[in-house]
Amino acid sequence: MLRIDHLSKRYKDTLAVDDLDFEVKPGVVTGFLGPNGSGKSTTMRVILGLDHPTKGRATINGKNYADIKSPLREVGALLDAKAVHPGRSARNHLRALAVSNKIAPSRVDEVLEFVGIASVAHKKVGGFSLGMSQRLGIAAALLGDPGVLLFDEPVNGLDPEGIRWIREFFRSLAQEGRTVFVSSHLMSEMAVSADQIIVIGRGRFITQGSVDELTTTAQGTVFVRCSDPVGLAALISRHQGVVVQNAESGLTIGSLTSDEIGTLAHSAGITILELTPQRASLEDVFMNLTAESVQYGSSTPESTHHEH
Amino acid sequence: MSTNENLWSSTRAEWIKFRSVRSSIMGVLVFVVLTLGLGALITVAVRSHWHETTPVNRLTFDPVSTSLAGTIFAQFAVGVIGVLLISSEYSSGSIRTSLAAVPNRVRLAASKLIVLSVSILFISEIVCLIAFVMGQAIFSGVVPTDSLANGAVLRSVVLAGIYLTLLAVFGFALGLILRQSAACISVFTSLLLVLPIIVLFLPQSWQNAFTKYEPSALGRAMMSTTPPAQMFGAWTAFLILALYVAVTLGSGLFLLQRRDA
Repeated sequence: MLRIDHLSKRYKDTLAVDDLDFEVKPGVVTGFLGPNGSGKSTTMRVILGLDHPTKGRATINGKNYADIKSPLREVGALLDAKAVHPGRSARNHLRALAVSNKIAPSRVDEVLEFVGIASVAHKKVGGFSLGMSQRLGIAAALLGDPGVLLFDEPVNGLDPEGIRWIREFFRSLAQEGRTVFVSSHLMSEMAVSADQIIVIGRGRFITQGSVDELTTTAQGTVFVRCSDPVGLAALISRHQGVVVQNAESGLTIGSLTSDEIGTLAHSAGITILELTPQRASLEDVFMNLTAESVQYGSSTPESTHHEH
Repeated sequence: MSTNENLWSSTRAEWIKFRSVRSSIMGVLVFVVLTLGLGALITVAVRSHWHETTPVNRLTFDPVSTSLAGTIFAQFAVGVIGVLLISSEYSSGSIRTSLAAVPNRVRLAASKLIVLSVSILFISEIVCLIAFVMGQAIFSGVVPTDSLANGAVLRSVVLAGIYLTLLAVFGFALGLILRQSAACISVFTSLLLVLPIIVLFLPQSWQNAFTKYEPSALGRAMMSTTPPAQMFGAWTAFLILALYVAVTLGSGLFLLQRRDA
C-alpha cells in the first residue's frame, strides 16, 4: 500500500505539490489525474526518494523508499521511459538492474518476452521508439515482481494495440492483489483504465472516487426538442434554469431535471418532442474540477468542450 | 553484513553498466593507445636525437619519466572516463533509474567509484609498466636506461598508475558536483592545462611557491625518480593530490545526498 502523508514539495518559487494526503490501496487500479504541471510526476519522484519532500512524506508499506533493502522487489516504477543510457542494450540495462537487487537473471528474459521486446533486447536503447522504450520501462518495473507499481503517463507513445494491452495488463496486476498507481493527464484514458481516481490540480488535492462516483456527483444537462424553443428558453430562465446551448436542433439545459422541464413545458402548453438527460462525461467533470487550477491554460473560451 | 552484500550487488551492477557502453570501452582504448603510442613516439625521437643533446640536458635526463610521457596526454582520456561515468547518467536521465534501484546514494556512488578506481588502477599500472619497459628497450644501447630493480624507478612507475587513477576519480567527483559532461571536462582541462599557464604570468617568487601545488606538477613529481627543482617529493606530491581528490569527492557526495536527483 502506498500512503501520501501531507506531502508538500517546493522548487525555489513554485509549490509543485501542496499538502497532498491520500492512500492508494491494493487490488484496484488507481488513476492519478491532473493537467500537465499539476504535480503528478513530482509526487512520483518523491515516492521513489528521488526528490526530497519539503514537508510530509510518502511511504510504501509503511516504509520510506530509501529504507527498503531491495526496492525493485517491492516497488516497480516507470517514470520516464527515455531515462536509460542510450548506448546500452535493453538486456544489459535489465541485467544490471536485476543484479543490483539480487533478482534472478532468468527474470530478465522473462520480462523481455512478456512486454514483447525480446527480439530487440540486444539492440541499443538509443534507437528505440518511444513505444519500445515504454515497454522496456514496463519490463524494468516488473523485473522484481513487486507488489506496488507506479506508472507515470504510461500510454504516451504507445500505439492503439499497445494501449489496449496495457489497460488489460493494469487490470490483471490489480486482480493479483497488487497496488497499481497510474498517472495521466488524459481523463478519457483514466475513465477506461482506472477503478479509483484521485484528481489533483496545481499540486492540490481536488477529489477522489470511483469513475461512477465522480460522474454522478457532477451535474448533468438535459437536451430538449420542443414545438416552441424560444418560449421554453424564456420559461427556463425564469425558473432558475440555465440554457447552456441554444442550437437549431434543440436546447441544452442545465440546473433543472428532466421532470422539472417536462412539467414546465406542459404548464405552458409547449409540446415536448425529445427530452434526454445527458450524463456528464468524466472529461466534463475533470474540466470543471480543474478549470481554476490549470497552470498553463489556453485562452480559448470554455465553450470548446460542450460538444457531444 | 547485509550492507556489504548490498554493496557487492550494486558494484556488480555498476560493472555490467561500465563495460556495456561503448564510451567507457573507447575511453580505455584511447587511454592505452595514447600512453603507449605517444610513449613510443617520444622515446624514439629522444633516441634519434640523442647525439645532439647537450651535456647539461644529458645529466638531468630522466629515462623513467620520459618513457611515461604518454601519460600527460592519457590523463585527459582517464579524466573523461571518470566524468562520463556519472555525467552520462544525468544527461540521459538514467540516474533516476539507478537511484530507484539503489536508493542509498552513497552506496551507489561507492559502487561506481570501486568499479572506476579498480579498473583504471589495474589498466594504468599495466600500461605504465609496458610504457616503461618499452621505453627502456627503445633507449637501450644509445640513451641511458634505468631498471625496476631501482626502488625509485619502481616507485615512479607505480605512482604514474596511481596518478592516472586519482585523476579518473577527480573527474568522477567533478561529475557529481557539476553533472554536465561539457562543464566537467572544461573544468578538468582548465585545472590541468590552463592553470599552469596562468601561473606563468605571476611574479617569479609566486611561481616558485604555487607551481608545485598544480595537479599536473604533482603528477610530474610523482613520476620522477629524483624530485625536480621547486617540486615536492614523490610521496608528498601523492598525498597532496589525494587530498585534493578527497575534498572534491567529499563535496560531490555531500551534494549527491542533498540535491534532488
